[in-house]
Amino acid sequence: MKPAPFAYAAPTTEDEVLDLLAEHGDEGKVIAGGQSLLPMLSMRLARPSVLIDLNGVAGLAGITEFDGGVAFGATTRERAAERSALVGDRLPVLAEALPLIGHEAIRNRGTIGGSIAHADASAELPAVAAVTDAQLVLRSRAGGERVLSAAEFFQGHYTTALADDELLTEVRIPGSPPGAGWAFTEVARRHGDFALVGVAAMVVLDDAGSVEAARLCLMGVADVPLRLPAVEASLAGQPVSADTVAAAATDAVAGLELASDVHGSGDFRRHLAEVTVRRALTTAADRAGAPA
Amino acid sequence: MTEVGARAVGASVRRVEDPRILTGRGRYLDDVVLPGMLHAAFLRSYAPHGRLLSVDVAEALELPGVVAVYTGADMQRLTEPGKPGVIAGMDQMPGMALPASYGLAVDKVRHVGDPIALVVAESRYLAEDALELIEVDIEPLEAVVSYADALDPAKPPLFEEVGSNLAFQMELPLGDVDGAFARADRVLTATISVHRHHPNPMETRGIVASWDSAAQKLTLHASTQSPHMLRLLLPPQIGVPMEQIRVLAADVGGGFGLKNSVFREDVAVAAAAKDLGRPVKWVEDRLEHLATGGHAREEKADVELAVTDDGRIIGARLDLVLNVGAYLADPFPGSTMAMAAVMFFQGPMKLEALGAKATSVFSNKATYVSYRGPWATGDFLRERSLDIVARELGLDPVEVRRRNYVVRDESPLAMLTGTPYLGVTTRECLEEAVRLLDVPAFRERQEAARAEGRYLGLGLAAYLEGAPPPKTNGERQADIVGDETTYLAVDERGRVVITTRQQPHGQGHQTTLAQVAADELGVRFTDIDVLWGDTDITPVALIGTGGSRAATMANGSVLHGSRALKAKVLALAAELLEADAGDLELADSTVSVRGTPGIALPLAELARIVATEPERLPDGVDADLRITEVFDGGEGGWSGGVHACVVEVDVETGLVAFERYVVVEDCGLPVNPAIVEGQIRGGVAQAVGAVLLEHAAYDEDGQFVAASFLDYLMPTSTLVPDIEVHHVQTVLNDPDVNFRGVGEGGMIVAPAAITSAIEDALAPFGAQVREQHLPPSRILELVGTVPVR
Ligand SMILES: Cc1cc2nc3c(=O)[nH]c(=O)nc-3n(C[C@H](O)[C@H](O)[C@H](O)COP(=O)(O)OP(=O)(O)OC[C@H]3O[C@@H](n4cnc5c(N)ncnc54)[C@H](O)[C@@H]3O)c2cc1C
Repeated sequence: MKPAPFAYAAPTTEDEVLDLLAEHGDEGKVIAGGQSLLPMLSMRLARPSVLIDLNGVAGLAGITEFDGGVAFGATTRERAAERSALVGDRLPVLAEALPLIGHEAIRNRGTIGGSIAHADASAELPAVAAVTDAQLVLRSRAGGERVLSAAEFFQGHYTTALADDELLTEVRIPGSPPGAGWAFTEVARRHGDFALVGVAAMVVLDDAGSVEAARLCLMGVADVPLRLPAVEASLAGQPVSADTVAAAATDAVAGLELASDVHGSGDFRRHLAEVTVRRALTTAADRAGAPA
Repeated sequence: MTEVGARAVGASVRRVEDPRILTGRGRYLDDVVLPGMLHAAFLRSYAPHGRLLSVDVAEALELPGVVAVYTGADMQRLTEPGKPGVIAGMDQMPGMALPASYGLAVDKVRHVGDPIALVVAESRYLAEDALELIEVDIEPLEAVVSYADALDPAKPPLFEEVGSNLAFQMELPLGDVDGAFARADRVLTATISVHRHHPNPMETRGIVASWDSAAQKLTLHASTQSPHMLRLLLPPQIGVPMEQIRVLAADVGGGFGLKNSVFREDVAVAAAAKDLGRPVKWVEDRLEHLATGGHAREEKADVELAVTDDGRIIGARLDLVLNVGAYLADPFPGSTMAMAAVMFFQGPMKLEALGAKATSVFSNKATYVSYRGPWATGDFLRERSLDIVARELGLDPVEVRRRNYVVRDESPLAMLTGTPYLGVTTRECLEEAVRLLDVPAFRERQEAARAEGRYLGLGLAAYLEGAPPPKTNGERQADIVGDETTYLAVDERGRVVITTRQQPHGQGHQTTLAQVAADELGVRFTDIDVLWGDTDITPVALIGTGGSRAATMANGSVLHGSRALKAKVLALAAELLEADAGDLELADSTVSVRGTPGIALPLAELARIVATEPERLPDGVDADLRITEVFDGGEGGWSGGVHACVVEVDVETGLVAFERYVVVEDCGLPVNPAIVEGQIRGGVAQAVGAVLLEHAAYDEDGQFVAASFLDYLMPTSTLVPDIEVHHVQTVLNDPDVNFRGVGEGGMIVAPAAITSAIEDALAPFGAQVREQHLPPSRILELVGTVPVR
């Protein structure tokens, strides 16, 4: 469990990073918190010839206001976001998801940008990005800056729209609609594990107490965070009831194709997904003010 | 925790080990750095079973920094094959197959992770680079994975010389089995299984071997529970006689039975170091450890119970099969654990007859090693059986246990094997557990919760652990591990030096042996040094620390040795003080004359005189302040108790949470209650892992699918409940030594208590729990919401 040989670069500015990425292309790899990359290096699943360390780059971390929500510099530590009053205030779904990522020691190192760029299909932050309609800011020497939606960015398990020479510089999460209730619910075998399934949900109610708008994103059931626009649309206009929620949960898992692994069968995961959708929607509706 | 008071024994004295270990200053194997040291890495088989056609190391040898690459052919040249179990007399047992093997695979690979080649390089990084350059050609053979595969004569035998995949078989009739079944009101049957899981200590395996050509001496630094075992087992394999081998072990980060073995990797690394004349270090990484470090359990038994209508199990027939994997552990082949498991089925149960067939089979899986209570499957079968009887007869599991567990000093007074039930307190422990959990109130609460769709369950189980058990007809049971020798001395500074053959790896012997000596000698706790882990100075022992023996054996040896040493000290002091030895006392490291204040001889002063002014001693006086104490275990006795817990099962997700976990135990007189409780809690934590998380799984082709910590889940602090430990008033069997072992008990009984509670919670679904492993996916199958896989 020792990495294959690599060269190490420690740039101090974003410009230097972009130069190094332009120079090394697919041979270069940036390292942020290292909480995903180091294990992959040690198991020789990743073998870049140059490791470009983002930890000494000035100005790449930071938490600022953005469009009623929050923008995160890519190297903002997960733990810093978790402890941010602004995040607690503006982004309840992120605040609920962050403590579910690994353990404190991991979140002390792991970064918001690293988790998004790594794009593990069972990771919380990609699901949060998808459910909040986050914008991802990418920069390179050749292509300048582009801003992608989560739907455009996440392409598969560990696969994103990031080009070899591109750096994720910022994650922008807009504020939530007025009156929205949010929930992030997951099932993991142990606290801190990558979850078997997770669901991020939002519910907004109209004056009559029916659903005005809903959002749903499943993680761990597909190779990308899975928004379900059809289910979201079907919820609109419905009264909040156990039946509505249960029907939405059944619809949500209907089309899923799930593989078996050591933790359980595909049937098992589908069952958990249905339970979790139901629980997340119920909690979100409660928080939006639905009568119990 | 307390500081040492008037009496050290019985107090939770702070562990002497803790400051260094808890601040990261322990000295473990990987901390050993020797001048000129090289680093080893093993190339391991990806194939479960196959013929090894070729191993081409030419390119690896060319990589700068690579010093040597060894293959099976080199092992044939440099070593003799290891014959497992011979030193422990296993070759004398009928029905036992003991195929020999080399440190590296020679003509076949037999499981994923089987070592094929050994690279020695200037760094571990370079060694791993070189592994990628070795070309291996393996012709696949059909894999033998399941019990059925192994018992199928059409499948290829792993070891041609054995001729089949039968590793061991024996039958054991105890009592009138047919008679018991004839008298039974009904016969119940079940197939009960325990899954493969493993000790997985924090510190993996490893060894640093160093050959001194001037002294002609091989020094081995090892992460082991038994330094002398390496010294006893390696000579025939590596051709270095025992007297030229020294084994050193400092702090050891856990073993749980695993490290009571000598491994094929040890042989290969020692041979390489001797061949190269340079120190070679091998530290197993976690991926290697999970795949090949040593697995345990994996037994299945068809159980037939002769039951009376009042809920008594009067007889049983067991047909148990154990999957021992490919290579046998040395010196304790896992195959023998099949016998141990059936022998321990009875435990504290008033069984009248037991018929058992125990079979072990070879398969293309990693080596089966001893794991904390290696026979625990026997206890699991008994406790599952009691729950089966309870459900079948509609009785409360507590009541069934009341009717089946032995009562102290009532018939039967001995097990079917003849070992007396001397001083067993199972029933007292049971009643205390029932009182603590308030079982009647719990049943009401359980009913109310079910009405709300919440599923609570209560489970309990008992065990007995002999370490060593009471004598049978005045005789100690035959025991290959033998008596416990300890060296005790007062050195020239007046410090008491205890040299133990124990090899502590978490048990705190540095603290507890000093507690016993402090009390017996009247010497300050801080004036005592405990030495271990160096075969040049410690007494010989096949097992260093294992089998929960230290509490009785090592403490007993130190107790008696301290008394003998004290007598010597007082005799010398009597000469120097010109007093009668009978009037002297030793307290606070100082000899004084009873009733004569002002006369005092500090032990340090006495020691100085002995060392530097021997002329002050009368001629012919015995001034040798050294004792060799050999202790046979005295009367022995049982350690044991009852574990009981309350769980809540989320029947939608299959997750289990503990509401309460209670241990009521009797280990005689605890030397250090905090250490006793720590041992128990650690065992319970491992049981939580075994039941809810850990499964060393192979797929049907023999590929290992629990290869990293993503798939092999260990218990964490958020999952392990607060574990209350209560001690029951004990029965003293021996005039002097009533400290009894607790190392294994937690892990022996807790899996049974936890599964029992889960079955109770799922009773409304008609769930019948017949296995030990209950991950969420299995719980949902039992609930009936997910199809059985
Ligand atoms: C024991 C353990 C448990 C964990 N549990 C969870 C969990 O439950 N849920 C979860 O979501 N995560 C979990 N993680 C992963 C953790 O959240 C990581 O921190 C995160 O996935 C990656 O962030 P990082 O900063 O460490 O990235 P790194 O490991 O440094 O990098 C990961 C990848 O992203 C790339 N990258 C990093 N930053 C950028 C950037 N700015 N632009 C472009 N590419 C970039 C790297 O090149 C690399 O390919 C766990 C990790 C561990 C070790």
